[in-house]
Amino acid sequence: MKTCCVALLLVIAGTPVGAQQGLAGRVPPEIATLVRQLATSAAARGIPVEPLIQKAIEGSAKGVPAERVATALRALAAQLDAAAAALQQAGPARPDTAAIAAGAFALNAGLSPRDVTALAQVSRPPYSTAVTLRVASTLAAMGVPAAQTVELVTQTIASGGPATDVLGLPAQVMVGVSHGRGVTPAQAAAGLTRAAAARANAPGQNRPKPPHP
Amino acid sequence: MSGREEATDGQVVRAVLAGDTERYAELVTRYRDRYARYAARMLGSADAAEDAVQDAFVRAYDQLAQCRDPDKFVGWFFLILRNRCFAERRRTKDVAPLEAAGAVAAPERPEVPVEIAERRRALQHALLELTPEQREVFVLKHVEGLSYGQIAERLGTSVPSLKMRMHRAYDRLREQLRDRA
Amino acid sequence: MTDFHPQVKQLLDGELTLAQLPPELRAQGEEALRLLAAVDREPVTLPATLDARVLAELRRRAETPSFWRRLRLRPWTLVPAFAAGAALALLLSSPAPTPATSTVTVRFVLFAPEAQQVTLAGTFNQWDAAATPLVRTGAPGVWAATLILPAGQHQYAFVVDGARWVPDPAAPAVDDGFGRRNSVLSL
Repeated sequence: MKTCCVALLLVIAGTPVGAQQGLAGRVPPEIATLVRQLATSAAARGIPVEPLIQKAIEGSAKGVPAERVATALRALAAQLDAAAAALQQAGPARPDTAAIAAGAFALNAGLSPRDVTALAQVSRPPYSTAVTLRVASTLAAMGVPAAQTVELVTQTIASGGPATDVLGLPAQVMVGVSHGRGVTPAQAAAGLTRAAAARANAPGQNRPKPPHP
Repeated sequence: MSGREEATDGQVVRAVLAGDTERYAELVTRYRDRYARYAARMLGSADAAEDAVQDAFVRAYDQLAQCRDPDKFVGWFFLILRNRCFAERRRTKDVAPLEAAGAVAAPERPEVPVEIAERRRALQHALLELTPEQREVFVLKHVEGLSYGQIAERLGTSVPSLKMRMHRAYDRLREQLRDRA
Repeated sequence: MTDFHPQVKQLLDGELTLAQLPPELRAQGEEALRLLAAVDREPVTLPATLDARVLAELRRRAETPSFWRRLRLRPWTLVPAFAAGAALALLLSSPAPTPATSTVTVRFVLFAPEAQQVTLAGTFNQWDAAATPLVRTGAPGVWAATLILPAGQHQYAFVVDGARWVPDPAAPAVDDGFGRRNSVLSL
């Protein structure tokens, strides 16, 4: 159990140094070995390694049996792959690792690969893909149905406000839920979507057109 | 109010962290003067001390969540004030001697004989020429009356290193006072 | 040769008296004592208006954006309202985050009246269940901690009595991959 994990981890390609130090001594050797295997192949494909390391640390901290941690790690690796594929569908550019990590999180939160692709397609500066996906994941985790989540984020971006409009969406849905009597997150999101659409379509406003899906 | 116990520092800190901002005033009133003299001797005037103490209380509020032991608020507050005093000197290091003299020229206290006031002023001038670390050990021992052991504990240094600092301070003060004599 | 003699320094330190100095050092000793006599030990009192100025500054800081002021807290679960709304509502210092190096102050609150100990573990502290204890607040059963976190996405959970992992009742939750739920915080 106390076998030194540091030496194993130092050879992981592309792993941030801080994360290596984080794993050392914190996870059992068999998990460290599995992380190394998954990370080596992930790094070779441009998939971020940090989420795997974080998940391994989390599992050990929670006292989860190694068997269970291994299952979760393999599932996470699969999600990262699926996210990378979904993002690649959105355009020719190679997806950046932050977006892939956010995409995997979105899949975990209940969005589909198609939702991830759609969100990536509407994201363009100043709305970064990673942020868009994170916000969508939070909305989904709050109980806003996937289709509505995508619609709300899309319309907010289309209305052309600053990036903080997107960042503020979860809070606004919360406000909607708290204000109304029996308003569900879905209904609050729908209200916000209508407002955003109205702004996007307002005449005489100089706004960038939403990209065609 | 009779029969009502005063809240401990820890209780007030926790109340403030729980959202009761107004109660922070209790800590300010309680400790406004505690380190006022220290700040005044470190910075050269009561006015500068007032600014520093006010600023330190605001910073302490900003960082209140990081006060590890709310019952030892005052010791933690002292460190914030201390940093502020050290930072202040760094900022005004390039001030010409004449302006620095102006900061020290506080209104005369009529009950203090002129000669003594002059010597006090001269020493305060000289103190401002020391490094903040040297000035601090001198102020803590000779103004605040702490022992080397107490200073060491508060600053987290050793007595021998404090003595070394102090003895350098003595020599520099002597040099400064001779130049002005 | 302007340095004080070591024994005169001991005099200054209060470890020797003037009488204990050899005769050739007496004059230097007296000079040293005159130096100490010039120390201003008068107490300094600051005006009480300082208190008001500090409070005014704090009130300015505590000002929340307008949509939070209208927020009437409503629990999604059976947890009492103030705890339910607390974790999300108390985003202090909320100017919109700018890219890269912004931080946000966040207050985490849990209503756990039977707990002996509550800590916070999450992606921001490497899931270390011992690193971030919550403290009991004035309100009975309410535990809180305030952290300064970098902008971005964080997952976390409360750890009660060192053993029970509890997601934040008021925050969105996701599957943690181990059969439990983590709370999500987007800054």
